[in-house]
Amino acid sequence: MNYNRKIIGDNIGFSTVIDEKFNTCSLYVNFITELDKSTVSEYAFVSGILSTNNSELKTFAELNERLFSLYGSDIHSSVRKRGDLQIITISSSWIHNRFALENENISAQMLETVKNCIFNPYAENNAFNDEAFRITRKDILDSIITEINDKRSYTINRTARLAYRGEPAELPSHGTLETAQAVTPESAFEAYKKLMQTAQVEIFYVSPEKDDSVADIFAENFAKTGRQPASFPFRSASPVKPAPELVTEKLDVGQAKIAFSLKSDSTDYDALYLMSLILGGTPVSKLFVNVREKLSLCYYCSCRYNEPKNSFIIDCGVEKENIPAATKEIFNQLDEMKNGNISDDEIRSVILALENGYTAVGDTPASYASWYFERFCDGDYITPLEKYKRICSVSKERIVQAARTVSHDCTFHMLGKEVE
Amino acid sequence: MNKKEILTCKSTGTSCVHVKHSSGLDIYISEMKGFSSVYAMFGTKYGSVNTIFKTASDTEYTSVPNGIAHFLEHKLFENEDCGVFELYAETGASGNAFTSFDRTCYLFSCTKNYTENLRILLDFVQKPYFTKENVEKEQGIIGQEICMTNDNPQWRVLFNTLKCMYHNHPVKIDIAGTQESIAQIDAELLYKCYDTFYNLNNMVLSVAGNVGADEVLAICDELLKPCEDKGLETVFPDEPEDIAQPEIYEKLPVGMSMFQIGYKCVPAVGNLLEKNMIASIAVGIIADPASEMYNRLLSDGIINGSFTGDVFCGDGYFSVIFDGESEYPDIVKKALTDEIEKICRDGIAENVFSRLKKSFYGDLVRQFNNVNAVGSIMLNAHMAGAAPFDAIDIVSSLRSGDVLDFIRKELRPDRIVLSVIERSGNQ
Repeated sequence: MNYNRKIIGDNIGFSTVIDEKFNTCSLYVNFITELDKSTVSEYAFVSGILSTNNSELKTFAELNERLFSLYGSDIHSSVRKRGDLQIITISSSWIHNRFALENENISAQMLETVKNCIFNPYAENNAFNDEAFRITRKDILDSIITEINDKRSYTINRTARLAYRGEPAELPSHGTLETAQAVTPESAFEAYKKLMQTAQVEIFYVSPEKDDSVADIFAENFAKTGRQPASFPFRSASPVKPAPELVTEKLDVGQAKIAFSLKSDSTDYDALYLMSLILGGTPVSKLFVNVREKLSLCYYCSCRYNEPKNSFIIDCGVEKENIPAATKEIFNQLDEMKNGNISDDEIRSVILALENGYTAVGDTPASYASWYFERFCDGDYITPLEKYKRICSVSKERIVQAARTVSHDCTFHMLGKEVE
Repeated sequence: MNKKEILTCKSTGTSCVHVKHSSGLDIYISEMKGFSSVYAMFGTKYGSVNTIFKTASDTEYTSVPNGIAHFLEHKLFENEDCGVFELYAETGASGNAFTSFDRTCYLFSCTKNYTENLRILLDFVQKPYFTKENVEKEQGIIGQEICMTNDNPQWRVLFNTLKCMYHNHPVKIDIAGTQESIAQIDAELLYKCYDTFYNLNNMVLSVAGNVGADEVLAICDELLKPCEDKGLETVFPDEPEDIAQPEIYEKLPVGMSMFQIGYKCVPAVGNLLEKNMIASIAVGIIADPASEMYNRLLSDGIINGSFTGDVFCGDGYFSVIFDGESEYPDIVKKALTDEIEKICRDGIAENVFSRLKKSFYGDLVRQFNNVNAVGSIMLNAHMAGAAPFDAIDIVSSLRSGDVLDFIRKELRPDRIVLSVIERSGNQ
């Protein structure tokens, strides 16, 4: 494997990963910008529209016809939050030319298509094409209103909104129904221009062979956008509330869901991460073993760490009458950690699991892109092996100390309507 | 005596080893150069639909409660001394298992200690330990899993579709069963099912990634306990060809209505993979994002980007299901039936067929980029009665007439069902 990153424009990084074992070429173009109520939905629209058509393939049908003809190549867009930032990603992948059945140059055609999607969108009179706008609008509005369909992720999202109230991270990744409904083809196109000019951009190209033309395409085209990039903070710890808050929502569901936000003011991130894994990140974690296996209260009970916000969310699905017992046991297990009741086996098992994960970086194109993107955000270009060594150096004392900095911030309950 | 063969994909050059092991087990191994991880699956042809069975030595069929295959999967993770997760925790592997309609699979993924992990996998799956106490403990956990899936609208819309299609076939029953059915499960029943279905002649092992075939086989030779083929026979209640009911509507707390439109087809006889591939291309043509129908529905705001189609098939059941979110599922249903009628009348344009074939070929090639995907391909192909690389050969050899025949014969207007999850009014 050969990894190389170079700067191809003002605040634009281009990383190439050459790995001969792959039979595909993959491209990930990440736009990093602030999460702001005035632009959050506009940028989500931009993301959707750029993967719907372009100035050459003017309809969704034409774009798909091209992609299917090129052996099921794809162009996707996604929007996500990372701390107080919004990450818009346009990604594409295609099979290597050597697998073409009719000697087509798949790579050249896909690079041209991606280039047109990103730099030459179908727009007239400073507004996106109405058809692409309407398709995207429906997708985004529908995705916002169907957030409630998945009760577990809805519970986690509601808890995060409560935890980060008053902070940019409070906003959903696509904005709210209100902000999304206010977007117009004109405002979305204006946002597109702003995004191209001001976002930090990190591009990853993962391929079995070198192709310098890919970086040149992006350098050339970004140079035309009048870059005035801003810099954004990748960490923004969320302050803990003076007293834990409880919000309850009632829905027509059979199983209750409970979630807790916890926060820390420690900067020992590696120790906090290990703490979260020992508490609820594996099938031998304290929450899994005690809340699920010993007490049989639930099917899942886990803890996840949001490092940019230095916060945690624990979530669990239980019978309503078991909420007090589950809550008691969850905080009992957290107290166990604060009291230093962590075994060497518990530490060893999460370190082994992490080693497994770090060693697997590079087994998929996406894992390379994700690893190096996160290192860019950390401002620390270390290899998976170096990260593993750092994790191994975390002592039990540091984990206990980290646990002692964790405070309960808020609680969210989803209850069945019949429960009064 | 083991029987070993090398299987090679003509299109991509990828190869794997297939061994018919002397224990009765079929073993597939793909050595993937340059990859760090290993993915192993140990599966049995035993899923939620297998509730009536007998072996050659039984005089009568045994009927067992719904959800028992899934319950058994949970319980195999606990052996006499400790839980299986604890064993994997000592090696760093990520272990898991799943039960579907027609199979149960135990798996692990790791980058280190794969031989040790393979030993754990082969050992615990062959060493059941069921007691009254550990069965009762699991009823609470699975009870919560059932509650969770009952609140999942995507799960509910599927099972409502299956209830519409099937009169008697157990595919219409939730994989995990119900609170009532799992209450009937005890250790004795679990042993009965285990002894019947966890016979190596009914199982398959698939290992892919950074492995050596000889090393894998040496461990298999050491740990696999030879099994006598007991002449397992599973049966299903008689299932009429027609549908049970044309539609089901249910209200749940969802943001917008979701639907499935299903076509009940004739179960595959013989090569399930070939019929699956033909049906998949048919679905691809009907729900083609480049088609006039798709883009009209999208442009009119009838569907959104979630609209898709898939083939749902297994032992004794075969169907095609279109799925999406819409406040106008009747309009989508009408558009689909019109589109299918048009294809039956006008045939399939060769350029459309060629485009879809290329797309399927590309998707199959891509899968060889991924260790987990290769492990799954080998296991799934075996479960479908095929070899790992048959799918690419089948796609290459298909003609538009094969797909047109399928659409004309199987996607019949009298075999269509509609399942809708509507928004509850007062959420």
